[in-house]
Amino acid sequence: MNGLGFVWREAVAGLRRNVTMSVAMMLTTAISLGMLGAGLLAVRTIDRTQDLYYSQLAVQVALDEPTSAGDPDCGSPVCRGLRDQLQADPLVAGVTYESRDAAFQRFLRIYAGQSILQLVRPQSLPATLRVTLKDPTRGDAIVQEFSTRPGVRNVVDQRRLVEDLFTFLGSVRNAAFGLASVQALAALLLISNTIQVSAFTRRTEVGIMRLVGATRWYTQVPFLIEAVITGVVGAILATGGLVLGKLFFIDRLLSGRLISNAIPAVGMSDVLLFVAPLLIVIGAVIAAATGYVTLRLYVRS
Amino acid sequence: MLRLENVSKIYPTSARPALDDVSVDVEAGEFVFLIGPSGSGKSTLLRLLLREETPTRGSVYVANWNVARLPNRKVPKLRQRMGCVFQDFRLLPTRSVADNVAFALEVTGKSEHTIRTVVPEMLELVNLTGKADRMPAELSGGEAQRVAIARALANRPLVLLADEPTGNLDPETSDDIMLLLDRINRAGTTVVMATHDRQIVDAMRRRVVELHLGRLARDDARGVYGARR
Ligand SMILES: Nc1ncnc2c1ncn2[C@@H]1O[C@H](COP(=O)(O)OP(=O)(O)O)[C@@H](O)[C@H]1O
Ligand SMILES: [Mg+2]
Repeated sequence: MNGLGFVWREAVAGLRRNVTMSVAMMLTTAISLGMLGAGLLAVRTIDRTQDLYYSQLAVQVALDEPTSAGDPDCGSPVCRGLRDQLQADPLVAGVTYESRDAAFQRFLRIYAGQSILQLVRPQSLPATLRVTLKDPTRGDAIVQEFSTRPGVRNVVDQRRLVEDLFTFLGSVRNAAFGLASVQALAALLLISNTIQVSAFTRRTEVGIMRLVGATRWYTQVPFLIEAVITGVVGAILATGGLVLGKLFFIDRLLSGRLISNAIPAVGMSDVLLFVAPLLIVIGAVIAAATGYVTLRLYVRS
Repeated sequence: MLRLENVSKIYPTSARPALDDVSVDVEAGEFVFLIGPSGSGKSTLLRLLLREETPTRGSVYVANWNVARLPNRKVPKLRQRMGCVFQDFRLLPTRSVADNVAFALEVTGKSEHTIRTVVPEMLELVNLTGKADRMPAELSGGEAQRVAIARALANRPLVLLADEPTGNLDPETSDDIMLLLDRINRAGTTVVMATHDRQIVDAMRRRVVELHLGRLARDDARGVYGARR
């Protein structure tokens, strides 16, 4: 293409003509894309956490005191009956039994060294039947059906317990997206304004171009390239910010002993291979679209 | 070559028509003065030919183009075949003389090779070979207008439109420019020049089209500026 060198030189000259504005435009773009990227990472992490939890969650059928007492292997008729009925249910994928002693051992492991241990006796823990479902969202049906059976203390759908947590995480994510879109709007307006200013400063040049018969390629594409460079540089800065954020904030936050097993880590590949290319494409496309609309609306072709 | 048929132009912001039912026909190779007092519609007529404006009524033809009906994307092609110069030269202050001429070729997609051969040719035509590397600020008015003419001719236009090209020049310099335009016209380029300089028109004895308040007042094959002032 003949005019490629020309439009490129003009675009770079345009960015350098008003360095302050160009930098402001890139930073605003970077911040909005950074927030968008953080939002995307949050979604990915929340989804993974959800997967991790839901695969481990089950419906727990806790047995009452008489049925729990002294039964290491679900040998009592009541327990066996319940287990058989659960296994026969078409919703159920599998049933495992945890005796009162096994539950107490697990309790000891989890709370090793903590004062709560002094308060707990094996007798205060129930034996449970852990029920995994073919469709994990159908816990309600089991709760309904088995809560009132003889020998059952209560039935708890663990999924219900964590649902509130995920609802909360979901709203955090939505808030991140909301902020990102307000910020993105600011970036759009700034890009649009910069193009208008840029076109105004170059009006003599563009006027002469039009008079001698330059096509839109020469009169408008430099402004578009200017905008796209801004978008891409903004995306690269945003990626840099996310990498720093991961190394110095997320990694430290998630490395705590309690939380490290609970939430999967955010990998460098999530930032560089998943979020970064998305941000670059989004940055470039949005900047180009803004540039195009601005030229259409405010600048004579 | 150029034809206006019953052209009227009313700018949205003014009540009086800038052009009122004007018909003019210009043959290839002609030299035409477009005269009339300030505000009579000379610039408007030239802008219609360049498709800087569209007529309110009537048709405008340049060569085979129906100018007013031309789709936007074909306007650059039209303008590439029309050179134009103005009273204020309109040179790019940050580019040298040679680069100002090269600019017209560059933004219309000409090759490096073409640019390297055409620019010196044009500078020679307007007698500025020695000043190729000067900046516009270092030129006299006459020199600046000659650079503008070189730029206007770089794409080998069918027509050269000149809107008061001597308006900012002293009489001697104006005469130089007129000699140059005459030479260009004799080499085959159609020239339409808007002016209200009586001396120039009287000296050249070329076709005169006179506008008065937007109406065609006179069209003489070998005219003078006229008694009326
Ligand atoms: N862009 C414009 N908008 C409104 N009125 C205009 C515009 N350009 C010219 N005019 C009016 O049209 C008339 C003709 O102007 P113009 O063609 O510039 O005349 P000339 O070049 O002969 O001095 C004048 O009354 C002028 O005020
Ligand atoms: Mg005028």
